[in-house]
Amino acid sequence: MTAPAQRPLTGAGAVWRAARAAVRRRRVQTVVLGVVVFCSTVAVVVALGLLEGVSAPFDRAFEAQRGAHVVASYDAEKVTAARLAARVPGVEAAAGPFAQATVTIPDTFEHLPPGPLTLVGRDGPGGPVDRVELWSGRWAARPGEIVLDRPPGSHFAGLLGLRFAVREGPAFTVVGLASSVSGSAASWVTPGQAAALKPSAYQMLYRLSEVRRGTAGLPGDGLLAARSYLDVKREAGRSVSLYLPFLACFGVLGLIVAVLIVVNVVSGAVVAGLRHIGMLKALGFTPNQVVAVYLTMVLIPALAGGAAGTLAGGLALRPLLDGVGGGAFSAGAGPWVYAATLAGMPAVVVLAALPPALRAHRLNAVLAIGAGGASRRGRGLRVQRLLSGARLPRSVSMGLGLPFARPGRSALTMAAVVLGSATVTLAAGLTGTMTAYGQAAQRVGHIHTVVHAGQARQGETPPRHGDAEIEALLRALPGTLYVTADAWIDLNLTGQPQPIMGRFLRGDSATLGETLVAGRWLNGPGEAVATSAFLDKRGLALGDRISLSLGSGRAGATIVGVTMDGSADLIHAGWQTLTTLAPAQRATQYEVRLAPGTDVESYNAAVSKADPGLRPRTKSRTDETAVAVISFASLLTLLLGTVAALGVLNTVVLDTRERRRDLGMLKSIGMTPRQVTVMMVTSMAALGAAGGLLGLPIGIAAHRVVVPMMAGAAGVLLPESMLAVWRVPMLAVLAPAGVVIAVLGAYVPARSASRLTIAAVLHNE
Amino acid sequence: MNSPRPVVRLGDVHKEYGAAGALDGVSLLIGAGEAVAVMGPSGCGKSTLLNLIAGLDRPTRGTVEVGGQDLGAMNETGLALFRRRHIGMIFQFFNLIEDLPALDNAALAAQLTGTPARQARDRAMELFEELGIAGRADVYPAALSGGERQRVAVARALMNRPALLLADEPTGALDSRSGEQVMDLLIDLNQIGQTLLIVTHDPELAGRCAGRLVEMRDGRVLSAQSLESTP
Repeated sequence: MTAPAQRPLTGAGAVWRAARAAVRRRRVQTVVLGVVVFCSTVAVVVALGLLEGVSAPFDRAFEAQRGAHVVASYDAEKVTAARLAARVPGVEAAAGPFAQATVTIPDTFEHLPPGPLTLVGRDGPGGPVDRVELWSGRWAARPGEIVLDRPPGSHFAGLLGLRFAVREGPAFTVVGLASSVSGSAASWVTPGQAAALKPSAYQMLYRLSEVRRGTAGLPGDGLLAARSYLDVKREAGRSVSLYLPFLACFGVLGLIVAVLIVVNVVSGAVVAGLRHIGMLKALGFTPNQVVAVYLTMVLIPALAGGAAGTLAGGLALRPLLDGVGGGAFSAGAGPWVYAATLAGMPAVVVLAALPPALRAHRLNAVLAIGAGGASRRGRGLRVQRLLSGARLPRSVSMGLGLPFARPGRSALTMAAVVLGSATVTLAAGLTGTMTAYGQAAQRVGHIHTVVHAGQARQGETPPRHGDAEIEALLRALPGTLYVTADAWIDLNLTGQPQPIMGRFLRGDSATLGETLVAGRWLNGPGEAVATSAFLDKRGLALGDRISLSLGSGRAGATIVGVTMDGSADLIHAGWQTLTTLAPAQRATQYEVRLAPGTDVESYNAAVSKADPGLRPRTKSRTDETAVAVISFASLLTLLLGTVAALGVLNTVVLDTRERRRDLGMLKSIGMTPRQVTVMMVTSMAALGAAGGLLGLPIGIAAHRVVVPMMAGAAGVLLPESMLAVWRVPMLAVLAPAGVVIAVLGAYVPARSASRLTIAAVLHNE
Repeated sequence: MNSPRPVVRLGDVHKEYGAAGALDGVSLLIGAGEAVAVMGPSGCGKSTLLNLIAGLDRPTRGTVEVGGQDLGAMNETGLALFRRRHIGMIFQFFNLIEDLPALDNAALAAQLTGTPARQARDRAMELFEELGIAGRADVYPAALSGGERQRVAVARALMNRPALLLADEPTGALDSRSGEQVMDLLIDLNQIGQTLLIVTHDPELAGRCAGRLVEMRDGRVLSAQSLESTP
């Protein structure tokens, strides 16, 4: 006869009650675990939200507008509209052909630079492909009306109603502002208006059945240019791609630290709860129920921390997203980010808790009850013995020896400190690099004020002086050191369909403080300096010759230098080149460097007084990108540093609990509260020092990997000097980062240990 | 008989834990070189009395003076320094640090006062020799017998030459042979002038080691009688 199967003494309700009781008994660990999960979740939500921010808004807008996978321009003389209108295999939908013409804006307008303007004739914003978002005003309904392509935002709203004439004859009134995710045109007019402008090309917009790069399968006759949506997407994401590498790095660090601390917390709970485990088993809890008790015990704070962290992360994410990338992220993070963190973080905690919980599963009940909460003996004895003879205050030498008594716990704690220290190091390096980048981008110390000429069309007072006179006036003002006149002009690069931006310089341009990463600055006529992203985009290199055109003007230039700037469509050239292209062009602005000691505001007042039509603005000293990166890095470092410190706090709490009797005895033989605090803090400071020293090279290595990736994603080529931020004073400040994290985490529980009531501990064992 | 100079002076000491009273108006004098045993049933206030004299706890009312110092006027650090200089304590369960060998356990008490490690170990070895455990100096507590552990604890208690040695059930966790050895040790210490206060349930220990017996019940001193004539 077989014995009846033993029924578990308790069910799910008992597991819940036992877990709830365990949570109450371990309030500190429960709070630590909850806060650790909270901080990690905030970091993960921010990181995931921004990761999504790079692609999701574009993808959503692309689908909503039925964006064009290929925007193609065909030579109107080589292909007929009927040929282009024919159905093409592999094309899901097509729009066009639309007449495409180019006109030239001769004068300077705010947000509407002089130079070529592409117009496409369309009778409305809708259609099977490229459903343009008309966000202000209305569509062009008659000749003389134009809709400009501008990103949504009040920044450009002033353009509505603007009237301007083009060199080719007609005048236009801006009746609408629209945005095309495909970047299909700079402006739209009625088809009749486009036809009247003698269009040189037809535009076709294609949505492909199967997304691919290139124009294979599309009509090839007379193809002038084609642009893939992949290039558009890359350009759209450039401003935010910058943030990805370091956010990913911080996110991974945060997750690892959280897992380490969770393992430590749960292992500690198992070790400290040996008697509890034995009692549960003696009461009839099955091994699986014991595991369930321990997993439930950690799941309670994990769920609470995860939910609160997701909420706080979501709240933190929105202003961060709004503040970065000029509103490109305004869509916010998708629901999957919140769902993933809500479910994922507790899942990570449970997975981390599983190995120590399984240890409880295997534990023999009799041994567990016998062992009680006593610590295991005989670890690190040799080290402790050596330390006891060291010429150190005994509280210090005892503290130094404590980590060796629990090597596993110490290793986990130290790993958390290593990562915390690495995070601080990475953030410090990032801050150093971004500060240098921001100063270079804003040309701090090189330009103090920028003077614009008032625009009568925008209701501003026009200057009394002409272009050359303004420059002379500024040079004559007291305090002026250097003046450079700039003209920002849209122009064409021969052989390239898309216009580029030319910055033409007159005067003391060598003093502008532009950061060169290769070659040299402009030294004479026929030279140009380009950004590295400009060269990459067009397959050009230093020394190459480019041909520029503006209306009927033509000019050649040799690329003699490469700047750090990430603008993919910007070149700098001397004023002589502009004179060749458009002899009558005026400067758009005047950049002034002041003599040392000159007050910028007083100088600006003097400029306005000399000519009320001049509008001086103090040059900003802060770069928004640098500020955003530094803000993110600081926030995440604070979160991860807090998490690492909480890991230390948890270890000290566990050590104190396990060594209650030793602490009581030490106090009974005269260890002062201060000595107890010193001993417990030293035990963690030693780990912190070691962890800090290990974390330093890891942080430096991460900086060497992450920063070039960030720069590459943003199309910026950083000079080596901006990467070489690691100098002795900085390293000297960072080296104790691990100690600081450890001491901050250890101090409060160490103070609590120093107040331990000895009488109860010693007499009731 | 000339009354010896008092080392301990308790005046109308009360100790309450919440609503429960542990000591109720205890007054007691212990002279220098005296050996006093405190006996009574569980919960009578023996351990509370010991804790107050050791400066491990504070009275709710009344005065506790040890070596002429009012413990009620001291802060936590002051009490720790007081214990370091004036009190040696022996516990029922030895309370040795398991990670340290026997000699370092004993030396610890001197090292906390700032005594250099070598000097502290020399002093500990001196005591180990006197206590007959010199050969066990490098052994860790887990490998020592109960009697040996208690002798290590005695050595630790004597490291700083305390004015008062407090023993809380010093033979309670020992077998009879080890208990005998510890009793002999306490007698020897008292004979060379060490003031002793022993809290015990064991009448034999009290009878052999103490010159005076204080009986307690319900937080009060029931009787205090000399045991000098006890054979």
